[in-house]
Amino acid sequence: MTEPRGPWSAPPPSGLARTDFHAAIRRNAWNTAWLCLVLVLVGLLLGYAVGWAAEFYVAGPPGRDPVLDPLDSVWGLRAAAIMLAVSAIAIAVALTRGDRIVLGLAGAHEVTAEAEPRLHNIVEEMALAAGLPKPRVAVIETPALNAFATGLKPQKAAIAVTRGLLDSLTRSELQGVVGHEMSHVGNNDILYATAVGVLVGLIVLVSDAALRSLRVASYSRGRGSSRKGGGAAAIAIVVVLVFAVLAPLAARLVQMAISRQREYMADATSVKLTRNPLGLIGALEKIGGSQVPYEGANRAIQHLYISNPLKSFKRGAQALFSTHPALEDRIARLRNLG
Amino acid sequence: MSGVTIVLLVVIGLPVLAALIGVLLYNRLVALKNQVEAAWSQIDVQLRRRTDLIPNLVEVVKDYMSYEQETLTKVIEARNHAVAARGEGRAATIAAEGALTAAMGKFFALAEAYPDLKANQNVASLQEELSATENKIAFARQHYNDSAMSLNTAVESFPSNLIATRFNFQKSVYFEMPEEARQPVKVDLR
Repeated sequence: MTEPRGPWSAPPPSGLARTDFHAAIRRNAWNTAWLCLVLVLVGLLLGYAVGWAAEFYVAGPPGRDPVLDPLDSVWGLRAAAIMLAVSAIAIAVALTRGDRIVLGLAGAHEVTAEAEPRLHNIVEEMALAAGLPKPRVAVIETPALNAFATGLKPQKAAIAVTRGLLDSLTRSELQGVVGHEMSHVGNNDILYATAVGVLVGLIVLVSDAALRSLRVASYSRGRGSSRKGGGAAAIAIVVVLVFAVLAPLAARLVQMAISRQREYMADATSVKLTRNPLGLIGALEKIGGSQVPYEGANRAIQHLYISNPLKSFKRGAQALFSTHPALEDRIARLRNLG
Repeated sequence: MSGVTIVLLVVIGLPVLAALIGVLLYNRLVALKNQVEAAWSQIDVQLRRRTDLIPNLVEVVKDYMSYEQETLTKVIEARNHAVAARGEGRAATIAAEGALTAAMGKFFALAEAYPDLKANQNVASLQEELSATENKIAFARQHYNDSAMSLNTAVESFPSNLIATRFNFQKSVYFEMPEEARQPVKVDLR
């Protein structure tokens, strides 16, 4: 499904994939595999650290050496095993139902061709231009201006746009946005982005739980005796803290690293599909100029959107940490295309 | 390594290498050809949809557009001609459908001048349906031409042209539009 193709197999039949983008598809498959591997490793370490700390605090008998050997913790091994199982399940879920989870997180509901004929027609046109099967079409009921694509392979994708976007964009602007999303579909960016969204969401959940349990544990310990060497306790706290802070940080870094070059690429491909840079330029200008906040945008999937729904980034230092290039930069690049 | 080994390696290795490259080139040509076929079948779906829709539309509008009998007749003629050309190969289809696109363009432009037409719900939905189909034809054609260009480049350029000639890979015809069809059809879909 996601493994890179060998030199003997024929390239995939999709147009984008064949002509320009089979390298992008392969890269996304590799990235997804790496993401899963890193997730498993982080899960193992995190599980062991938490297990070790728990054993140290809760089960450490008074008679034993107060400093529990960090390499010899039965609870740590158990916790690591549990984390291994958890991350295996998480990966399995992300790679089989990730698209549905993402649509659910975004609050997008699928619409029929009768309900949204214009959007359906535009999606079908862009699918034809890209030589891809038509993705499912979904709408998010919010006045904010945004859109995203999700799915696990180009043949089974979904494109979601907000109600605000449908209402305020002209046909050619909407076409530009859908073309941009169709390019993410063709590149199979959607696979990696969807996996990141689902798995990162889980990491955040787990390390939040770790932080909370640490707070509870240290509180209850503080009431008891402080005979067991304070240094060891400090080490335990530091270890757990490091992991609890590192995990979401790593997750955020992954999230940030993935998308800027892709956004430029998708913008350019959109123009290749529509043959009309003005549509996408107009759409990006409207999206950038919109002051309507996106209520209920989910952190875990912010990188999927055409424009980050949580923050409006300006050029400069902040751009270093954004999941998306500043809209002005994207517009400037599109103007250069024309 | 002795001289004999090197000679043996070269004698055996070079043909094997050449065969490997040949297989890769062949597979690439097959993939490109299949892509062109898939792109064509996408166009075909839309073209058939258009020929199915046109009689309905003409039936509904002919009372309104009694002064435009000539245009309507041309549309019907072009449509029948396009249906007849289906069996005569791709080049014939392209020519006939191009003429139909041109005739439809004229029709859409004329229809703009009849406010009564726009008021008719039946006509409006048929017209929306048809102009959406025209759009889809245009995008499917764009994809087909891109695919055909990839195939034609591979068929013509060295070294894949050696394989193409050997296994009889043909160049694909492009789906060109006649000059009068290139005028943009102004249709408001909102």
